[in-house]
Amino acid sequence: MKELEKIEVDTLVVGSGIAGLQAALDLADQGYSVAIVEKAPSIGGKMISLSKVFPTLDCASCITTPRMASVSHHPRIKTLTYSTVDAIKREGRTFTAAVTRKPRYIDEKECISCKRCEEVCPVYLPDEYEQGMGAKKTISIPFTNAIPQLPVMHPEHCIRCGACARACPKDCIEFLQEPAPVEIKAKAVILATGYETTPMTAKKHYGVGELPNVISPMAAERLLAPHGPYGRVLRPSDGKVPGSIAYVQCAGSRDKSIGVPYCSRVCCMYAIKQAVLLSGSLPVADITIYYMDIRAFGKGYEQFYNNARAMGINFVKAKVARVTEDAEHNPIVRIERQEGTSAPEEVKHDLVILSQGLVPGCDVSKFGLGAGLNDFGFVQLSDETVSSAVTAGAGVFAAGVVKGPRDIPDSVVDAGSAAMEAASYIRKL
Amino acid sequence: MKVNPELIDEIKKYGAFDISACFNCGNCTAVCPLSKEDASFPRKLIRAGHVGMEEMVSSAIEPWHCYYCGECSSTCPREAQPGEYMMALRRYLIAKYDITGLSKVFYKTGWLQTWLTAGLFAAVLWLYNSYTGDFGALAGKIEMAFPVYVTIALGGYVLNMYRYAIVKPLGGIKATFKPTPIIETFIHGFTQKNINGCEEPDLVRWISHLLVMSGYTLTLVISNLHLLEPLNRLYGAFSPVSLLVWYAGLAIIVGGGSMSLRRIFKSSESSKFSHPSDWLFVVMMFLIGASMLATQYVNVTQGPASPLLAALYRVNIAIETVWIILVVPFTKWIHIFFRPLAVYFQHVKKEAAAGTAFTLQLGGSK
Repeated sequence: MKELEKIEVDTLVVGSGIAGLQAALDLADQGYSVAIVEKAPSIGGKMISLSKVFPTLDCASCITTPRMASVSHHPRIKTLTYSTVDAIKREGRTFTAAVTRKPRYIDEKECISCKRCEEVCPVYLPDEYEQGMGAKKTISIPFTNAIPQLPVMHPEHCIRCGACARACPKDCIEFLQEPAPVEIKAKAVILATGYETTPMTAKKHYGVGELPNVISPMAAERLLAPHGPYGRVLRPSDGKVPGSIAYVQCAGSRDKSIGVPYCSRVCCMYAIKQAVLLSGSLPVADITIYYMDIRAFGKGYEQFYNNARAMGINFVKAKVARVTEDAEHNPIVRIERQEGTSAPEEVKHDLVILSQGLVPGCDVSKFGLGAGLNDFGFVQLSDETVSSAVTAGAGVFAAGVVKGPRDIPDSVVDAGSAAMEAASYIRKL
Repeated sequence: MKVNPELIDEIKKYGAFDISACFNCGNCTAVCPLSKEDASFPRKLIRAGHVGMEEMVSSAIEPWHCYYCGECSSTCPREAQPGEYMMALRRYLIAKYDITGLSKVFYKTGWLQTWLTAGLFAAVLWLYNSYTGDFGALAGKIEMAFPVYVTIALGGYVLNMYRYAIVKPLGGIKATFKPTPIIETFIHGFTQKNINGCEEPDLVRWISHLLVMSGYTLTLVISNLHLLEPLNRLYGAFSPVSLLVWYAGLAIIVGGGSMSLRRIFKSSESSKFSHPSDWLFVVMMFLIGASMLATQYVNVTQGPASPLLAALYRVNIAIETVWIILVVPFTKWIHIFFRPLAVYFQHVKKEAAAGTAFTLQLGGSK
């Protein structure tokens, strides 16, 4: 173990998705010092991997990257990526967080992000940033607009050939690097740990992740992103351009049988958004959205939904009960149309996207900060009608999806609220 | 159309306690392997129940197509137990078809039927024990009366089912005499083979069911043909009649025992919810098999003059009497007739819709 690195700041922000970034910036711009801890190798969270955002169809990275850059260059923000918060202890009015920097196996101070190591590395891995659809090297920078631009090596796949070490002009490959402990002292904590999507295996009848052309919405985002894995929309099993694409709504929400009885709030809109984008990139494709209800609740959302309908996207009111496939891996959905004959029917598509729901990204109760959780593992606010950020733990605030499913605009707004509450809490100390 | 706002509360009294949670998504119908184009269920019937469409519910034959594999209940996003709703509908329909109204009372008042059965059993047993004449001959007459009673009861049910399923909704007497529907009806009646259309066919359930069915049918044959006269004849352990009894008794005990165990341990969706009448049904089945086996065993080992045999035989006949009087007409036992009939009525409805059914217009043309 390396020597303990100590950091003292006003606020610790856990998570660097859009909520964490916004909260950190809002605090730092008011003059407070912030440490932001991110478990992934880059800041930016889920949003940086999205293609466009609803309902404006703005480019997601065009909104996220400026904030990422501001955070990483801010004089009052200390960013720790590829680091995990192991514990947070409250001592009087101070929080002490035990953080571990995971080894990237490079000298982070010396690296000049030249990518030589990545170029010479002979081992390819499925790229999780591209949802397994593309390939990356065993030593590589996580994605093109990652911040920081530092490569990460995956020793479990490395064949120790030494090619990267020979190619590195700064001699900064460190095969023997170890995890490094960091201690962060802060006066307030903002939890912004976000979400994970419900797993593809959640519902037994949806192919449990074994059907190659039944994909997650995150994978669809990557297919649609201009810098995505294939550069265009192709289906994974055979690289065919899909002529018929279907969305299965509520594939991971509003379903007690998978333990997620609540509505995830964003799936209707992201599915409509992706459908609109798909009809742009595949003008002749048939796109169907199987839904129970369309919940287009935000500003401009209903209009966006109506536009999608007018564009010719086929909305079918039916809950998909089964997803299977034929011999050519064409997914088949089994439904009962609520409007019509009510006879069960099977419809074949080329590509099916399961509109997964949102579940908590991290069990924040393990930190024992006094912030209670609701039945579904999201942080419970002490009084939702009074503040959208104050939890039952003094000095502990919550921003974004950690409090329950919400979309990007809502996450940004209440990240500001969390920053505000944290600032006023610190001033009163 | 008349709407009955109390309909759903009425159906809930037959089971289906969770059905109000339903948000009408249709997952149940789409996941159901037996739901077909001309007979789609359960969603439509749940909806009909919720909005009070009493005629649509009471004329429905779809509940008889459902074999309660539980796929709909285990995947229901609201845990509204649509499978149990279909079960409740079957009870509701039996109560509808029953002219006497007793099924309704029994289903709604929990253990009443069981207490009455126990009481009647005690009374009948006392009567049989106090009979001083030739009980063997009396038993013969009692057994001869069984089919008459059951036929009358069944006749009422079948006619009433026909009235609800065909006459009322289609506004007249309609039938079909084509060979396919008739053959199909018989095949379904004997094999209940649709149960294996269920996903992950529950082999244990089907075998238990088949054992009970075959064992019980054999028991009927034995008693109605009066093959068994244990008080007057000595049977060899391997005589043909004994072999029939061994099979029938063991089949009922093994099948009925396995069904009871499943209900006790709630091992599958279909055995999660037990109505008192379900218990009465399986326990009585078990007792019929056990008492018949015991009677035959004592006859074979101790001879017809054994006093133990005399007592056992009276118990056996008393159980059968009570079974015929109180259980057969008022529990799901009669579903063995409704299921194949439903297949037939489905064909009639299809042909009526196509205009090819045989029609007998009542009260002039409309």
